Amino acid sequence: MSKGTSSVLPVIVVFTPWLALVGAALWGKARPKLAKAVYVGITAATLCLILPFYARALDGAVTTQRLLGVVSGISLSLRIDTVGFYFAILLAFLWLLATVFSLGYIHERETRYYCFMALNLSFCIGVAFSANMFTLFIFYELMSLCTYPLIIHDETEQARKAGLKYLVYSISAGAVILAGVLLQFFYAGTLNFTGHATLTYADASKPVLLVIFSIYMLGFGVKACIMPLHGWVPDAHPAAPAPASALLSGVILKIGIFGIIRVLFDVFGVKQLRLLGVSLPMLYVASFTIIVGSLFAITQTDLKRRLAYSSVAQVSYIILGLFLLAPDGAIGGLLQVANHAFMKATLFLCSGIIIHETGKRDVRELDGVGSKLPLTMLAFSVAALGMMGVPATAGFITKWELGVGCIQAHRPYFIAVLLISSLLNAVYFLPVIYAAFFKGGPVGGLLKHETKRTMLIPVLITGAFVLILGIFVTVPGLPYSLVEVITKAVF
Amino acid sequence: MNFSRIFHNINYLVSVLLFLVGLYAVTVKPNLIKKLIGLNIMETSVFLLIVSIGMVEGGQAPIVAEGVKASRMVNPIPQALILTGIVVAVSTTAVALSLCIKLYEGYGSLNADEILGAWSPLGSSGGAGPMRLDGPGPDEHRDVP
Amino acid sequence: MVAAKHPVLLVALPLVFAAFCPVLAMWKKSACFPWALAGVSATTFLAWSLIGKVSPRGAVAYNLGGWKPPWGIQIRIDYVGLLMICLVTALGPLLVLYSYRYVQHELKPERVPYYYTLFLLVFTAMIGFTITGDLFNMFVFMEIFSIASYALVAITGAREAVRAAFKYLLMGATSSLTVLLAIAFLYSATGSLNMLDISIRLKTTPYVPVAAVALVLFVAGFSVKAALFPVHVWLPDAHSIAPAPVSALLSALVIKMGVIGLFRAIFTIYGPTFATRSSTWSSLAGVISWLAVASILIGAVLAIIQKDFKVMIAYSSVVHIGYILLGLMVLTQEGTAGGLFDILAHAMGKACFFLVAGIFIYKGERRQLRELRGLGRTMPVTAGAFAIAALSIVGMPPTAGFMAKFYILWGCIQGGRYYFVVLALLGSLLTAVYCFRVVYYLFFTGARMPDARIDEGPATMYIPAALLALGTVFFGVFANLLIPSLNTAARVILAK
Repeated sequence: MSKGTSSVLPVIVVFTPWLALVGAALWGKARPKLAKAVYVGITAATLCLILPFYARALDGAVTTQRLLGVVSGISLSLRIDTVGFYFAILLAFLWLLATVFSLGYIHERETRYYCFMALNLSFCIGVAFSANMFTLFIFYELMSLCTYPLIIHDETEQARKAGLKYLVYSISAGAVILAGVLLQFFYAGTLNFTGHATLTYADASKPVLLVIFSIYMLGFGVKACIMPLHGWVPDAHPAAPAPASALLSGVILKIGIFGIIRVLFDVFGVKQLRLLGVSLPMLYVASFTIIVGSLFAITQTDLKRRLAYSSVAQVSYIILGLFLLAPDGAIGGLLQVANHAFMKATLFLCSGIIIHETGKRDVRELDGVGSKLPLTMLAFSVAALGMMGVPATAGFITKWELGVGCIQAHRPYFIAVLLISSLLNAVYFLPVIYAAFFKGGPVGGLLKHETKRTMLIPVLITGAFVLILGIFVTVPGLPYSLVEVITKAVF
Repeated sequence: MNFSRIFHNINYLVSVLLFLVGLYAVTVKPNLIKKLIGLNIMETSVFLLIVSIGMVEGGQAPIVAEGVKASRMVNPIPQALILTGIVVAVSTTAVALSLCIKLYEGYGSLNADEILGAWSPLGSSGGAGPMRLDGPGPDEHRDVP
Repeated sequence: MVAAKHPVLLVALPLVFAAFCPVLAMWKKSACFPWALAGVSATTFLAWSLIGKVSPRGAVAYNLGGWKPPWGIQIRIDYVGLLMICLVTALGPLLVLYSYRYVQHELKPERVPYYYTLFLLVFTAMIGFTITGDLFNMFVFMEIFSIASYALVAITGAREAVRAAFKYLLMGATSSLTVLLAIAFLYSATGSLNMLDISIRLKTTPYVPVAAVALVLFVAGFSVKAALFPVHVWLPDAHSIAPAPVSALLSALVIKMGVIGLFRAIFTIYGPTFATRSSTWSSLAGVISWLAVASILIGAVLAIIQKDFKVMIAYSSVVHIGYILLGLMVLTQEGTAGGLFDILAHAMGKACFFLVAGIFIYKGERRQLRELRGLGRTMPVTAGAFAIAALSIVGMPPTAGFMAKFYILWGCIQGGRYYFVVLALLGSLLTAVYCFRVVYYLFFTGARMPDARIDEGPATMYIPAALLALGTVFFGVFANLLIPSLNTAARVILAK
């Protein structure tokens, strides 16, 4: 990387959220309002600190900073490149919205909740800014652990079971990834991300490469909820408080995807994956996940559980797009990262408002909610339509690009998967919208305010983004411009 | 079989035999005192071996004097070692015997099967057997801090 | 510095303090604690002044009484010895400080002076054991810390404690005699007691079978001291029943002496060159590494099924002895470095565990796991220290335990033992089960309203625990301070 420069700024960005701990220690008990302002302020500050890297990311320039040497050949290092920036800015933005939303939603154990939110933000950014697999692994593990308190926040029996399941899945996954890291280092001699393949046929034989690839997929697949490994998702999402589930679905699943992206682009490289012949099996797995995940979603009656299964299905769009190993497929997949994040965050936050205001979480009991919570349900509907891939929403763009990618990759039959999935999405979202607006419910008439402003505004912003991302696709500053840079560098 | 070779190394054989006799007593005998006697047999066997190593046939005491050749001297180091070894062994036995007295006070028995519980390869866990973790022992009093 | 010129002071100083402790008690019982603390701290100062004076390749040597080796006793501090004495002296003052309130609570007042005396003796003997260059001297030190430990386990006088101590004594004394028998065999084969001298003579000795038998006896004897599966049976009882600071001492340091014994026998005395003369050496290394894996897995399963907090922690020591020996016995540079680093990581983590367990016992006799519910809210520092130490014991970043595990696994891969990687990772998953279960009880269950009667406990108790927990994080983040030197040391060891 000729344009690489060194800077301490990445380090500052990663550790800024830790200031929230200071805030909590100083004012957590004595002045909770001030403490909350600090939490939000610090999250916003983190976002602002990431923003200046936009121009460099757009150029494809790289900023690196070595923190600590660990072993000869391995160090803890940070690196901001375009992919990392893309994920970091996305997750910091969503984090800000979710933190604001939490102000209205979280009423118990606030200090613990906000501290772990902040730590999690720090570690997620750490993953995005990792310069090598080792650093990524460390932040990934920390992130996994720090998610646990968010999932069991309510401390109900259901939340505990979900938390346990989550821990079992993620710690096992961590061990698997560690094995992958060790093997990669043993064969490749380096763990650094350089933007091109570092583990090649020159380093190891094909079976070894396949084993390492499978180990990584198994490890990261747990967070990215590839189908046989998705078990924790439908339990953890409903159990977590709404803003946390929005982040789980919007960000933390994407961190798993981020790991896969690194494996794809920086460890094996696209060309080599074509030679390895892993594209087709992964496409089948992704398709299976998309369709079966959607089918499961239809059978769920708990709103958040339905959304969780929907996430399982939707995240596999990204995997489908990436493993088409075609430029447009990758664009589609990477766009889906942001698109799905906004859509699913909207849906989860809306479900949070519904639960908070009506106490109902069964989809059969939502008749007439639209008249009580019109703006909320409007945002919900927009996001749901996006999920189905209706034009002028973000979801449509994803599907369009993925479709083009399928044709580019000479695998047009995977378009059928996209179409079936849209149909299934319609089956499980439309009845909810219909019931909310057009079935006369027990609660009629407009209320003076539908919910607290701190909760409504984040929902409206994410809802608006679903439309913005669907209409102003190529406007600079929106994901497309970044995604284009990423894919151009890779293909 | 080369009997002369075996005879030449008889000290090794005898001490290993004694060691095994002692080990047998330590592991198999249920009586704690017999276990300790076994332990002492083991100790003795090792001491015998070490002393016998330094032995020189027809040798003289290792005192530098006229007419005493260094090559005929008995090696003094093993004997010095054994002196230390005996001290160590005596202290071990003393500690063990005093523990035996405390055990007899506590359990009213010196039978290992009654006190120590079954010796399983996985060990008795803290909660198994006659272990009690919820209160003070019979001869124990606690000082309130 | 004084210590570099006269390393014998490292042993002599605490020994003098130990000898005068009962004398002091005749005058005033309460003077024993400051006396012990002063002795331990002074030794710490001496030991730490050696840091930087010992290169990973060489050693600081000192001939007792001016007698040159192989005739006289030599004190020889190599890099591993330095690591161990620094570790022992780092933990020593913390444990003494912690003991102050704890023994007031747990022991009859007339026993307190003996407690500190025995503690100082164990402390002295462990330092002597690691730095001596003479085999028989090593045996004597081993006996000193062993006998003192038997007494320390039984010091409360409760019959369960005496029972555990007796069990410990039977196995410990048998293993000591096995080691002594090994020394006798080795002496008859080489005619020397100086370890360095023996290692040179072993290269030419005609009595290879005798030396091989001695090696087997060494391994058998020290394995019991290290509590390697299947001879770990004494450990759970002794470590769980002893007073908490003693448990910490035994688990963090005394069983490591068994590891150091194995290390001395296998690497310092025999060394990989012995493998060219007898196949015993490599097959023993293989056997130990499999036993180590068995320790990891079986120890972890046994820890999971325990309901008593301290017994669970005790079994966890069996697991980590497995990791340490696995690292040492895969015979690669990284594995050896990782194993040595894990000695440090485990010592800090496990000592912290036992100190935390002691605080829970001190504040209301909480020994069962289910009694720990919700204590994270009332005792945040104590429980937080446990949580951080748990990360290290499980091997999660950014703690020392993770770096150690990483190196051990890397060593396994370098040695081509992929199956060990899989089994060791499985072991760390099982470890996560029993460690995080406690974290879960502490922080995520229990009453909403904290019990006002329970608070943090005395500062002399939770500060040592918190410092140890911070230590695991410090050495995890700044592992680079130690690991390159350990790597060099490991390379030298394996090249011998």
